[in-house]
Amino acid sequence: MLARHLIGAAAAVALAAAGVLPASAQDAYLIGISGALTGPAAGTTAAPVEGLRIYFDRLNAAGGINGKQVKLIILDDGAEPSKAAANAKRLLTQDNVQLMVLSSFSSTFAPVSAEAKRANVPLLYMGSVCPKDVSPPADPNQFCTTAYILGYDSRAALDFVKAQAKEPVRIGFAAMAVPLSRAEVEYAEGHSKTLGMTPVGRENIPAPTADYTPFATKLQEGNPTWVFAYAPWVTQVRTFEAMRRLGWQGDYIAWGHIEAEPELARLKDPKFYVIGANSFFQDGLPVHREIADVAKKANAQYPPEQMTEGWIGGLVIEAALKKAGWPANPDKVREAMDAMKVDTKGLRGTSLEWTKTNHVRTQQSYRIYHWDPAKNAIVRAMDWKTYEVK
Amino acid sequence: MQLFVNIIVLASIYALIACGYVLIYRVSRVLNLAHGELMMLGAYLLLTVGSTFSGHPFIAIAVAVVLSACVGILVYVFLMRKMTGEMVLAAVLTTIALGILLRGLVVLIWSAQFQYPIKSLGFVNESIALPGGARVSTFAALIVLTAAVVYVSLFVFLRFGRWGVRMRAAGQSPLLAAQRGINLHAVYALAWSLSTLTGSLAGMLMALDSGLDATMIIIGLKAFPAALVGGLDSLAGALVGSLIVASAEVLLIHFVDPLLSDVVPFLVLIAMLFARPWGLLGTREELDRV
Repeated sequence: MLARHLIGAAAAVALAAAGVLPASAQDAYLIGISGALTGPAAGTTAAPVEGLRIYFDRLNAAGGINGKQVKLIILDDGAEPSKAAANAKRLLTQDNVQLMVLSSFSSTFAPVSAEAKRANVPLLYMGSVCPKDVSPPADPNQFCTTAYILGYDSRAALDFVKAQAKEPVRIGFAAMAVPLSRAEVEYAEGHSKTLGMTPVGRENIPAPTADYTPFATKLQEGNPTWVFAYAPWVTQVRTFEAMRRLGWQGDYIAWGHIEAEPELARLKDPKFYVIGANSFFQDGLPVHREIADVAKKANAQYPPEQMTEGWIGGLVIEAALKKAGWPANPDKVREAMDAMKVDTKGLRGTSLEWTKTNHVRTQQSYRIYHWDPAKNAIVRAMDWKTYEVK
Repeated sequence: MQLFVNIIVLASIYALIACGYVLIYRVSRVLNLAHGELMMLGAYLLLTVGSTFSGHPFIAIAVAVVLSACVGILVYVFLMRKMTGEMVLAAVLTTIALGILLRGLVVLIWSAQFQYPIKSLGFVNESIALPGGARVSTFAALIVLTAAVVYVSLFVFLRFGRWGVRMRAAGQSPLLAAQRGINLHAVYALAWSLSTLTGSLAGMLMALDSGLDATMIIIGLKAFPAALVGGLDSLAGALVGSLIVASAEVLLIHFVDPLLSDVVPFLVLIAMLFARPWGLLGTREELDRV
């Protein structure tokens, strides 16, 4: 009899360790994460997941939240909608997580949000672009911490272009052939006209491309003075480099993804600007040093400057779980997230605040960096500029 | 002129990759669906070797090239050799499994980050001005040059080289070749080695030209239609097929819609399958065998 019990206990421990049994015996908060840890988006979406993991490893080592550990169940979706849906189904119905986190391509959003809605579990976008559903009037079940917000990002970038330009602006646009990148660039093209600029071309570039020169050639033919790119980093930077090799000398502004900081130093091109909502590690804030220390101790696979999105996600989830108390369930977590203000410790220009109708943030601040050859360093081309998100 | 240069560069990329598909198919009738992954592995080997031999870029490249060739031999010895005598389909499925394994390993070892082997090797990818106002990057020009050298070498090797003749013999009739004393395993291992080497060269040069990440495998897949269009058992066909696919891709990007670039190779392939299923320069009986 005793032997049978022991075998049963051992099997249960083994299954729980393997993540097969839900730890819903509830000795820990459960967070389910589907991320593009491999595949075409992984360069941008995998590091935030690691940032989140090391954030909670540190937090758990310090005693967890409300005296309870936080267990992350991380699954790879390879940026494939079908895999992401399967991951969500497993996390929501088998593991019974209290919060679902998605860090993947926009093509995975629809199936995962549908699964989360069906299971009535809040969904947090972290590391992937914020969809329209989180902007006012927000979907009650969806939230977003990621730096980029559709519409506002283009407005901020184009405002900067307009302020910088000393002559009439002829502007080209580069996007990746994925839904949100294309939608944002189409919006930007329309918005540029209202600012008195002349759009001279838009390229929707497929994700894996052997040679970017054919796209750059076409973009360059319009003879743009500026190009605005809003796409995964690879597309932005390869298009820029291809245009430079073709002899184009104009200014280029791109979205400042997590890869941006070391890339500015690699490119050393003063006319290559990145706009983003996260501060760079070169600013040397205490939180940057903290992330770098934790990443080093955790022997992280990704460099610390790519952990910012994950860290901000960690700050927000920690605040939500604290507020939800113990024992937590999806309803309590969602209620906590419905009205929340989190200090991002300088990682962003403003605190991240959610209201019942605004699940993206009430204010969004942008900074723009570029390379300064005179100083041989990355400098700010524009300090925090804040937009009200309505 | 720039359009012409773009076509030549893209055709050279596809040709370098496609000849790997052709070499293995021609000799062993196996479609190597892990070719894109092996190409990517070659580029990652250069990345690692480049940081190990920093300051000696040419030694690093030579070591990476030799390692790539060795990878091809190892794949044959430890994996594909076991498939000898089995159904061709089993061998093809094995290459699919190999591809999945390599994809996972690459992310585990090198992460999904975007990498620049050119940085550790200390090269600069300058832009070269060409007549007619066209421009090409140094490494894109090197891709064209390498493709030319590889194809000329392969034609000479297969026509006049002792092992080249053996490879052709093994491809035409393995039974007769074996009866004549040709070591089939050595021939197949050589084919895998050469195929991985040429694919890796494409991967390395692309990585040096514009960086490296795990999406490179999809480029390997896009080169597959080029091999099929030309005829899967014809090296000259791979060259012609690459030129056709690259021309269609570049011209449609420029004059119609850039979004078509993803599907163009497969559209060309479908058109070819309707008109001449065995490819432009392929042989009809090869298709019947498949």
